[in-house]
Amino acid sequence: MTELLKVEALTKSYYSRDYWFNKKLTTVLDSVSFTIDKYKTLAIIGETGSGKSTLARLLVGAESASSGIIYLNNQVLKSGSYKQRCQHIRMIFQDSGTTLNPSLTIQQLLDEPLKLNTPFDEKKRTDLIRQTLQKVGLLGDHMSFYPHMFSGGQKQRISLARAIILQPQVIILDEALASLDPSLRSQMINLLLDLQQQMGLAYILISHNFGIIRHFSDDIIVLSQGKVVEKGQTLEVMAKPQHKVTQKLMMNQSFQLRSKK
Amino acid sequence: MNLLDIRNLSIELIHNEQSIRAVDKVSLSMKEGEVRGLVGESGSGKSLVAQAIVSVLNDKWHVHADRFHWRGIDLLRLSIPERKAILSRDIAMIFQEPMACLDPTTTIGEQLAEAIDETQLSGFFWQKKQQRLTATIKLLHKVGIKNHSACIKSYPHQLTEALCQRVMIAIALARQPILLIADEPTTAMENTNQEQIFKLLASLNQLKNMAILLISHDLENITHWTNTITVMYSGQFVEAGTTAQIFNKAMHPYTQALVDSSPMANLHLPAKSRLMTLPGSIPILQHLPIGCRLGPRCPRAQQDCVKAPSVSNFHGHKVSCHFPILQNPKLKKTKRA
Repeated sequence: MTELLKVEALTKSYYSRDYWFNKKLTTVLDSVSFTIDKYKTLAIIGETGSGKSTLARLLVGAESASSGIIYLNNQVLKSGSYKQRCQHIRMIFQDSGTTLNPSLTIQQLLDEPLKLNTPFDEKKRTDLIRQTLQKVGLLGDHMSFYPHMFSGGQKQRISLARAIILQPQVIILDEALASLDPSLRSQMINLLLDLQQQMGLAYILISHNFGIIRHFSDDIIVLSQGKVVEKGQTLEVMAKPQHKVTQKLMMNQSFQLRSKK
Repeated sequence: MNLLDIRNLSIELIHNEQSIRAVDKVSLSMKEGEVRGLVGESGSGKSLVAQAIVSVLNDKWHVHADRFHWRGIDLLRLSIPERKAILSRDIAMIFQEPMACLDPTTTIGEQLAEAIDETQLSGFFWQKKQQRLTATIKLLHKVGIKNHSACIKSYPHQLTEALCQRVMIAIALARQPILLIADEPTTAMENTNQEQIFKLLASLNQLKNMAILLISHDLENITHWTNTITVMYSGQFVEAGTTAQIFNKAMHPYTQALVDSSPMANLHLPAKSRLMTLPGSIPILQHLPIGCRLGPRCPRAQQDCVKAPSVSNFHGHKVSCHFPILQNPKLKKTKRA
């Protein structure tokens, strides 16, 4: 079986613009490679500046890589191929409150990706929006609402609806669960797991919370200063962290919670 | 004697000639040198309670309380200047987004120097500038910033978020408060930085015997650092007790749901299984349910829940529910509060 998404030696570096002559080369991501299958979740952890968000931006195509190849279903994703990317790789951001356009209704918000990527007529689009809203646990009538009329958890559901409306294969969650309240967060995790079962989605989860990572992900990679320092199955890595960076991250987290007994 | 003793605090918002009870009869008490966690999801009114304690709410909000005592003095009965004098001497507060709360146009050194009051300085006027500087540097050392000369000269945007939070704590410490209110001091921070800030607060608590009211929306984040916890939901008091009581023997269905929904506390669950959740979402202020505000989402709700429950006390473990979860059914209420 072939992998859904395969990333080989992905590198991102840029020149700092401080000096005219003495250009400095900064490498943010240094030959990162990994693969994901359908129905699987890959967690990415690392400290600030370790290149987690850059990796996410490279995958969705918000930035172009310096070198390296991304394969989606064995096809090479080129840096300009937005049509293909938009359809298959979608992203949910941390703060749903600021990523939804406040001047558009939910219908208009969800209509945009459909208009740009599908040949459907208006009626079909409206039906699809209604179905997608029901899938994420909202009502079809919510279509004519504006984003400010929803609570934080509902807004995050709308972001999720916007991500899944094009039937993608990969969804990137960039700290998407961090800003939610605990009771809504567990609802959202349940919803994401259900959708993964139904649609065969692959998730790339960028998070700090080891509890969520342990519960949610199958594989994990640990980034530090742009390099992959540890990778493997989540449970194994968390049981026996090998690299110093992983151990440090784990220790910080376990400090915060007194064991139950 | 309790440091802070608040009984049945209500905060009302008058809006279009209609009053909305944003906080409904919340009790909170703190002993000296205690670290108390105040936990609640967004819209639970926990920040309002903190703002009411330092009385920075504007005229739109009406604050009532049966008792609002600070070391035996009823704060609500004092005139505003008297209250201000006590509050600014004894209580300090740090806020959620340190970068947004510091003045971006002045240096850290100036902002710190501003917080140090005249009474701490002795000597003649020409010595004061130097004394102020030494006091500033001392404050920075107290919060663990060793490179004080660079820090004093820099502007808030030049420092990292964790450093900014340390500076905020330093400003709060300038007048040696007895109570420090930390309103979500570590949201949107990295784990490593979160731990640093919590460790700093814990050491201040130990060394200076400073009481800390730690406000957070996440139960699992703060349990390691608190002695006692008060849980709020949608402006109502839910449960209060020691950290172990709340975390291991929650009596209120809401607290139990919070503990159950945290993946960190349920490491025995197989990965990718469904987590326990409460149905529905947090009610908005305009449409609060009557009686117990958890009612529509509560798994144990019965007909009685349309009336607001009174607080019952089980050996210091206070819970506000008609049908609390009792591990030991023989346990009797010690008294009705």
